[in-house]
Amino acid sequence: MYASPFEYAAATSWEEAVRLLTEAGEDAKVIAGGQSLVPMMTLRLATPQMLVDVNRVSSESIRHDDGHLVIPALTRHAELQNSPVVRRWSPILSEAAGFIGNVRVRHRGTIGGSLAHADPAAELPTALVALRGSVDVRGPAGERTVPAADFFVTHFTTALEPAEVVTAVGVPVMREGQGGAFVELARRAGDFALVEAAALVDLEEDRRRCSGVRLALGAVGERPFDASELAASLVGAEPSEDTVAEVALAATRAVEPSSGVHGSAEYRRQMVAVVVTRALLAAIRRARRPEGEAVG
Amino acid sequence: MKRALTETEAFRMVGRSFPHRDFEQKVQGAMAYADDWRLPGMLYGKVVRAQVPCARIASIEASAAEEVPGVRAILTAADVPRNGITEDASGLEIGTVIQPVLAFDRVRYQGEPVAIVAAQTPAAAEEAAELVQVEYEDLPGVFSPEEALQQGAAEVHPGGNRLVEWRMHRGDVDAALAGAEVLIEETYRTTHVDHAYLEPEAGVGWIDSDGVVTLRVSTQVIEHAREIAQILELPQTKVRVIATYMGGGFGGKEDMTIEPYLALLVWKTKCPTKMVWSRQESILARQKRHPFTMRYRTGATRDGRVIAQDIQILGDAGAYPLLSPRVLFAGAVTANGPYDIPNARVQATAVFTNNVPTSAMRGFGAMQVVIAYESQMDRVAEALGLPPADVRSVNFLREGSRLVTEEAIDTPVAIEETMRAALQGLGPTETATPADPSKRIGRGFGCNIEPYGRTSFFADRASCWIGVEPDGTVTVRTGITDLGGGQAASLAQIAGEVLGVTPDRISVHIGDSALTPLAGGTFATRQLYMSGNAVLKAARELREKLVPVAVELLEPGGGQVEFAEGCVRLRDDATRFLSLPELVRAAESRGVFAFQLTTFEAEVGEFDPRTGKGRTFPDYTYGTHATEVEVDIETGMVRVLKYVACHDVGRAIDPLRVEGQIQGGAVQGIGYALNEEVRYEQGICESTLFADYLIPTSNDVPDIQAIILEIGPGKGPFGARGIGEPPIGPPAAAIASAIADAIGVRINELPITPERVLAAVRQGSIGGR
Amino acid sequence: MSKVPIRVTVNDREVEVWVRPNQTLLEVLHDEVGATEVKYGCGEGICGTCAVLLDGESVNSCLMYGVQADGAALTTLKGLGGDDKPPHPLQERFLEHGASQCGFCTPGMVLTAFEFVRDHPDPSRDEIRTALEGNLCRCTGYTKIVDAVEAYARDQRASKS
Repeated sequence: MYASPFEYAAATSWEEAVRLLTEAGEDAKVIAGGQSLVPMMTLRLATPQMLVDVNRVSSESIRHDDGHLVIPALTRHAELQNSPVVRRWSPILSEAAGFIGNVRVRHRGTIGGSLAHADPAAELPTALVALRGSVDVRGPAGERTVPAADFFVTHFTTALEPAEVVTAVGVPVMREGQGGAFVELARRAGDFALVEAAALVDLEEDRRRCSGVRLALGAVGERPFDASELAASLVGAEPSEDTVAEVALAATRAVEPSSGVHGSAEYRRQMVAVVVTRALLAAIRRARRPEGEAVG
Repeated sequence: MKRALTETEAFRMVGRSFPHRDFEQKVQGAMAYADDWRLPGMLYGKVVRAQVPCARIASIEASAAEEVPGVRAILTAADVPRNGITEDASGLEIGTVIQPVLAFDRVRYQGEPVAIVAAQTPAAAEEAAELVQVEYEDLPGVFSPEEALQQGAAEVHPGGNRLVEWRMHRGDVDAALAGAEVLIEETYRTTHVDHAYLEPEAGVGWIDSDGVVTLRVSTQVIEHAREIAQILELPQTKVRVIATYMGGGFGGKEDMTIEPYLALLVWKTKCPTKMVWSRQESILARQKRHPFTMRYRTGATRDGRVIAQDIQILGDAGAYPLLSPRVLFAGAVTANGPYDIPNARVQATAVFTNNVPTSAMRGFGAMQVVIAYESQMDRVAEALGLPPADVRSVNFLREGSRLVTEEAIDTPVAIEETMRAALQGLGPTETATPADPSKRIGRGFGCNIEPYGRTSFFADRASCWIGVEPDGTVTVRTGITDLGGGQAASLAQIAGEVLGVTPDRISVHIGDSALTPLAGGTFATRQLYMSGNAVLKAARELREKLVPVAVELLEPGGGQVEFAEGCVRLRDDATRFLSLPELVRAAESRGVFAFQLTTFEAEVGEFDPRTGKGRTFPDYTYGTHATEVEVDIETGMVRVLKYVACHDVGRAIDPLRVEGQIQGGAVQGIGYALNEEVRYEQGICESTLFADYLIPTSNDVPDIQAIILEIGPGKGPFGARGIGEPPIGPPAAAIASAIADAIGVRINELPITPERVLAAVRQGSIGGR
Repeated sequence: MSKVPIRVTVNDREVEVWVRPNQTLLEVLHDEVGATEVKYGCGEGICGTCAVLLDGESVNSCLMYGVQADGAALTTLKGLGGDDKPPHPLQERFLEHGASQCGFCTPGMVLTAFEFVRDHPDPSRDEIRTALEGNLCRCTGYTKIVDAVEAYARDQRASKS
């Protein structure tokens, strides 16, 4: 019920954050939104001896830059959910953020924190893998950018090296003729996901034939599962309920969800088919919309 | 609201809603709950709990814990003067298993308290608690009633795992079943469910200047003070329990929770001490609702008459008795439902296991059986091709009908009216067939019978002191506890009705074992019946004492007076009156004191456990809920679209509060029906996070349309019937029925999770609209 | 672990309090500042009893440390009404409609509803239900809470037109 004692430092720049982490060594953790870290500390599942608070590091806003959205790490989930820029240029990210916890969690939780925490049931990692986004990282050795495919290693483990922090996230913006959807099943709104699917579908100019598909699944294993190859069978033809159903079936065979109190492994596997179907069909519907029509 | 009562007296207070002071404080954030007190020099207490469900304690090592700065005390079993909870909760002298306050030689369930710590800060107490080293040697355990009853099963306590077995019967069940034209045989299961009140267990204790160990705690029962005194081996006058306004109880604060541990730390350290349980600790270790396994064999004739029912109930009592005998008793008495069944047999057994101890929870045994008896009725209707409502009508109890115990119902039974009203409230079949092929709509209803008042052989009583102050305000003192259901507020309303004073001029002092006359705890939906009647009686007796004084002053030749608007006046001439202060002054000068202490005694009955016959509960409340649900046949998820809940409450003292009880109970019932379970695997809890215990959010339920009927006077004040527990009974039955209507398959196991729905959909033919 | 001072305003009143870093904002408000209307219900951020407005936005005070709130403007239920202020219209609607039984969820519930109506002045009942899904209530069954919030929103719109 009470976290064990720790030292506390608030960084005012990323350089300072990295320096504090380097000095403190492996017993230090970054606190951003705290919505995942603090409960773990309260329950004594995590006992860092130092917290480096990065909330005061930057107040940059989301930038639309040459076909990409550059999203500062400290962007709160509520902003992703409600920002007109995100809703216009990356609606799938907006949709995913809306599934995170409750309104208070979304007011504090950050995209940087969510990605760094890498909970297998989290929404933003799944969306990022589908989007083929990237994660900007800063550490003692300098700055680097990690593609989403390489960022999530296993449960609660990322490609971050010691003393490295996430500073920004990049995602390609929604193209014309593209539709996206994030579908999640949970027992109650805001609960941990049973299964998630993030789908992006590109249609050719005639808005009928599929020219590209991205599909990622969440809460089905230790990290987001990139199922785009399974969905590739949709490319080159006009998608139908049958061809989508085939992809859904293939997806259930490709993953090994574990059992949890909210649903057994077998149930979750069956639900993979449902969310894949619903996400692909919704993405296709949205891709067919005339240009400029608002999503969601 | 329908009124069919014969009283013609026009009520001034009863039947209206008054915002009582405690609700004002709550909306303004000014209510001081148990955790909201702080005393100088206060220490913080923490319980050390067993991590394993069944083991011998090889050693307890506290030296590392003692080193934590700020630690002031670490107590184990040897430090407890009398290490046993011996309350005879059943009142029937059945079951003499003693539950230790702190485990001494072995532990019997995961979470059982083994030691307690007091320290200067809560973090230090937690740190120290983690450092107390306990060595366990695992013992074989039993984790279900079936397992526990097997030949050669490990014994939870010496003497076998059968705690109590109630047997009741009437008529000749076997002959009647043999002659039935349709026979329905099914097994129903419910699981561990948590009260999940928003306020965790909490309290502050201190020793006052008289050396009295005083606890200010969130509790439903102040009478536990006596038990605490025994544990401390103090005279019973040296322990005082003050009950705070609770942030919810629902039976979870009916047995002692923190009291003995807090008292021990206070008594040992001589310092004020606070103890607050974490939510996760509460979910893990605090007593739960009994899982019931219920086997029903129901025989009916072609016209829909149920002529025989044979019922076997196994209840998982967990590792210690607590209130298990009573819970199984209530389940047995009501297992046949609100139906007049001429041949019935019930066997209800409470079985020890190495699971978490189970005890009181809203509905108390009479609640778990509802899914069973209602599903059986629906199945009889299906088998006979009759409308389910008609099958109910043909079998409903009436005044004068007998229950399985052969006792006769002695108040009007308006359950038929509740069924009609609920079905009418649901409206005609109007929700259109969904365009989405994955959705199905279904409708269903469920009826229930729930006792109010404690068992008649208990000799229940409640005392109350009432007095008029010199300025005409009124003081009521009674030892009830307030769960948040307006328990205290109702008493002000009753007193105000009799004495003609508005509730804002009445102070109700409750819940102090040293200062308020004892009224028994708030549970068993007994408060309105017991304390309501106690206040009514006291107020009437006080009024009767004052009337002669008033008459002498207003109409010496004799006349009728009434108490209204803060004065007493001639009924025929309201201009001739005395203010209450004047009346009090006049009375006192004549040696008539303006106060009254009285005790209301519940009717006493006799029950013979050997024959299963006699008087059980004073009376019952009847109701019907009706619902419309949408089932997603791809995911198994169920959404409740419409919900109507109707109960005959006899008299609604405060209609707004009665509606609130009905709506709140219905939503708890919906949670129980669809999502709530605490999962244990071989005695280990798999879901201690609040995030994993799925109570309904505002988004999970529709508006609950509460329909209050006031048709059959009950035994409470002004003909009221208890309403605290009844509304939690029907929801699971109504929802199971609606789901069956949607998908064509009936599910017998609660909660009806998406997985269970999906399995049923795959197994059966898809019906519904 | 030594204490450090933080300065916050609580309901427009400036407060300086010494805290240990591992004290949550909830603990600081409830135990040190005496704002007992901010409550512990779960420690996981899901029940809503610890909700406060931090610079106008609702947060889980059980999931922040007091030190993180240095300099912030905090609003609890008493910042809306009650104590030395007249009751807030939303509090009055709660009282009228019987939207509070045990009252434990009430402070967080009222704050959340206040913030929601402030930002969404014309909500449907379904929208109200969605907005309040992060505030658990075990007593009322929610219907009267929605009634109260709906009435309040209607009154607010009427008084602004």
